[in-house]
Amino acid sequence: MDELLQYIITGLTVGMVYALIALGFVFVWKSSGVANLALGQLVLISSWFTYGMLVQVGLPAWIGLLLVIIFAMALGWITERFVLRPLIAQPILSLITITLGLAYLIEGLVNFIWPKSVAALPHIFPQQTIHIGTAVVSMEYLLAALISLVLFILLSLYFRYNRMGIAMRATADDQLAVQACGIPVTKIFSRSWMFACVLAAIGGVLMSSIGGITYGLVHTGLKAFSVVILGGLDSFLGAIIAGPIIGLAENVGGGYLTPLTWPGVKDVIPFIIIIIVMFLKPYGLFGEERIERI
Amino acid sequence: MDLPSGIRNYTYDRDMAIFRTKTHWSMLLILFVILGTLPLYLDNHWLSVANLIGITIIAATGLNILIGYCGQLSIGHAGFIAVGAYTSAVLTNRLELPFLVGLISAGLLSGFIGVVFGIPSVRVKGFYLAISTIAAQIIIIWIINHWESVTGGFNGIVVPPAKIAGITFVSQGSQFYLIIGIAILVIFFAKNLARTRVGRAFIAIRDNDLAAEVMGINLFRYKLLAFFIGCFLAGIAGSLLAHWIGFMNTENFRLTESILYVGIIIIGGLGSTIGPILGVVFIRLLEKGISFLAPTLESTFDLPAGFTTGIGPMVFGIVIILFLILEPRGLAHRWQLFKASYRLWPFSY
Amino acid sequence: MKFKKVLKIASIVCLALVVVVTSIIGTACGGSTDTDKTVKVGFSICYTGVAAEKGRPMGDAKLDCIKYINEELGGVNGYEIEVIWRDNQYDASKAATIINELMDADTLMFTTNSSAMMTASAEIANRQAFPGFAVFSTPALTNPPQHIYAQMPDYGDDWAAFANYFLENIWAGTGKPKMALHLLNNSTGAGAKAAAEALADDLGIEIVSIEEHDATTISEIDSITRIMAQEPDILYISSTPQPTSIIIQNAVEKGLYPGVTIGCGHASFTSVLVELAGADAEGVYGVFPTVNWDDSAPAMAKMTEYCQEYHPEHYGNMDYITSWAEGLIVAEILRLALENAGIDNLTPQIVEEQGFKKLDNFDVGGLHGPVSYTPGDNRLAKSVRVFQVQDGEIVPITGWVEAPKIPYQFD
Repeated sequence: MDELLQYIITGLTVGMVYALIALGFVFVWKSSGVANLALGQLVLISSWFTYGMLVQVGLPAWIGLLLVIIFAMALGWITERFVLRPLIAQPILSLITITLGLAYLIEGLVNFIWPKSVAALPHIFPQQTIHIGTAVVSMEYLLAALISLVLFILLSLYFRYNRMGIAMRATADDQLAVQACGIPVTKIFSRSWMFACVLAAIGGVLMSSIGGITYGLVHTGLKAFSVVILGGLDSFLGAIIAGPIIGLAENVGGGYLTPLTWPGVKDVIPFIIIIIVMFLKPYGLFGEERIERI
Repeated sequence: MDLPSGIRNYTYDRDMAIFRTKTHWSMLLILFVILGTLPLYLDNHWLSVANLIGITIIAATGLNILIGYCGQLSIGHAGFIAVGAYTSAVLTNRLELPFLVGLISAGLLSGFIGVVFGIPSVRVKGFYLAISTIAAQIIIIWIINHWESVTGGFNGIVVPPAKIAGITFVSQGSQFYLIIGIAILVIFFAKNLARTRVGRAFIAIRDNDLAAEVMGINLFRYKLLAFFIGCFLAGIAGSLLAHWIGFMNTENFRLTESILYVGIIIIGGLGSTIGPILGVVFIRLLEKGISFLAPTLESTFDLPAGFTTGIGPMVFGIVIILFLILEPRGLAHRWQLFKASYRLWPFSY
Repeated sequence: MKFKKVLKIASIVCLALVVVVTSIIGTACGGSTDTDKTVKVGFSICYTGVAAEKGRPMGDAKLDCIKYINEELGGVNGYEIEVIWRDNQYDASKAATIINELMDADTLMFTTNSSAMMTASAEIANRQAFPGFAVFSTPALTNPPQHIYAQMPDYGDDWAAFANYFLENIWAGTGKPKMALHLLNNSTGAGAKAAAEALADDLGIEIVSIEEHDATTISEIDSITRIMAQEPDILYISSTPQPTSIIIQNAVEKGLYPGVTIGCGHASFTSVLVELAGADAEGVYGVFPTVNWDDSAPAMAKMTEYCQEYHPEHYGNMDYITSWAEGLIVAEILRLALENAGIDNLTPQIVEEQGFKKLDNFDVGGLHGPVSYTPGDNRLAKSVRVFQVQDGEIVPITGWVEAPKIPYQFD
């Protein structure tokens, strides 16, 4: 039983960190229907920028983090304005592919500016270990999970009550109708990319302050995809609940299945779950079911 | 429609033919002559690039049938290529079966596994389906990595050279004939598939699957058939890749590779036979060009650290972005425009 | 629309310009070097892609080293070394075209950094008897020995060396020590596992748990929990620095460490590990085949000078040392081949016979263990040293330890 408690606690906290990155993905998807393949690279470049501000320039943490947010917003704006906007009204797959191009470009930029390949960020959070019974959880993860939860609540409120948020939901639903209502669609896209980049940046800073900055961040970004799908591509609630579910599946499933199967089963379990969810609920746990007409 | 004015068809056979004019036939002949003599004037290096292009064309054509014709988004293609590569490797290395047996079984097994993972396509579509194919890739790679007694696991497996009827394909030149031969067969298959009942059913499903179902197309059967054909070709490509490289480990089949494949066929142009070919040639040559860029620049100028590593991905990304901004419908679209303008020249209409 | 047209024209012009400039530079360089007598070598480097973390310092180091040899030592035996290097992006199919390119370019030998890229090149090279070596290698590359060599002891040798050291110097208990393995899910982990399977029984070590992790892991608490249930005495990690740091930090959080002995293979054990894991890494043992920065070695001064001048960002990274040593070994192989065969007779096969196979106790400027060729064993250097993290520094605690050839069973 001691083990189970540990698996559950680790699963929940790690899952919340996945969910945090997934939120950035959902944001773009929700407003423009574009799957952002550059998500991992956005996480990477924001982490390196944080490194540049905090370690290389040596700014105090709060100024540095503020600059990171501003940087992420600028990045999002530039991305939308110069990369995605020229493709408005083109096939959606071309839009997705252009984010692939963006991913390479950002990777190149990162190599260019920060030739160092690995770096550690100064720890933003106190490095404490909290004991719950026999289980342990580090303060860093707990705070990361908390931040993720707070962001989730803020975003849900934003989408529900803010005019811009409502406009974003409307845009996702029907771009033409929204344009006819006089809502500036381009502005909405640009806003949603800025938000997505800020979320990616926050996720990046949290993750790299825990595990250091490496290229692996890109792939953790990819893992976030699976979270999003499980939850439903267009649902915040889905992302925030699916994250912990994936984390739990990894840890509890991995915990008890590893001795029975091959090692590394932990990394496959989320994907087996996804396939099962596909069969049972094709639009994810909380995704909006679309009724199709011919 | 694509014909110069003045060409008329008097029989249905003539109307249906792919090659209809003398120009078509002579162009085809010239193409074959060029391809056939390529090993005479290319060195091993460029032949190996040509081989890689050939292998990629086979896989991309399969993916194009799946995505471009049938509209089933798959981001797990590298996983199915891996199935083919390992099937062929295991059969020819451990069981010492002939290469052709390995090649065909690679295609069949890969196609079969494709069908299994394609079953969700009956219920889900779009990006949801894409994720289930990503899941397929990750599960496949995990199994290959851990089924050590058969696949060699992380240590990899040596693949003997391809051998057909006593001819061993070791040199790049001989492999070129093998690979390009199969690639041409595959291209003709794909070209003809699009014109059959099956191909038209695929297109109907892509354009609107509900409407297709109402018209009497069995969605379940045709979607799975698309998965089978797409993954069969992936398996063939995988088998050729395995015998070409000579050593397989699963690090060759990463998710980024799958994503790049989707990028390739979109850049080439979805839903046409020429699209994947143009896309593959464009991307592979671009990669090759970029691999010269950094060493050449570095040896000439005094460059800051990080330049050598950054320039490659950066140029690659910029070219893809610019390309899609300027030609969002892919190279095949541009090719059509070119053909049209050539045909109508000097009058614009 | 106007914007697009301008963009279109601009990008076409740019592309044309790049093509023209590149080809002009290319031909210009080709023309100037052909007149001098040079010896060509090929480097296939994973500068970008998933292994860039290690590929970048290593690529920079070997190019710096060759620059040093050419500029300050006047090349080898008076002949300048001409390097043809390509970025394989850690992609097997690109590596396969690159090895063909290197063979076509009449290079005499080639190297890769990583075992994965070497496996993608090895068969093509072996079929043409084109010699080359990998800096980091996995046992599968040199068993059975063909034309591919390993610069350093492989991941399996690390395990064997550490196990021996542990039994002789640390183990004070009775009975068989219990060991848990934490392996990266690629050949880095598989090499250590192969050695453990081949040797553990003979050495008297019981393997109680084999865990595996992904390079992208962000938490290994769960696997540490399972390992703790087996109550091991040793935790051996064969991985890269970032996942290793996660494992060590989690072991500290769980209270597994301090308590057990933690040992790392050489791919884990660089200054980056200490930087990432911080105080948690204190006391961790690691096996590494080279010396550390600031150790006294004849080659250290020049290496430090070049590193500081051209790539200060890599200073302190031990991967830079391994590849600087790689450059020195390439030069030594070429020197032997030149002396034994003469410039006019050099072919890749002669370089293998007269260069690789004549290596005898070359000291590599003291940077790593002596390099020699023994028939039947394609590992060039066979010794490693055991290090320990003490006060945030990586400190050597043994001299060179010979790693015996392990009888692997690969087909």
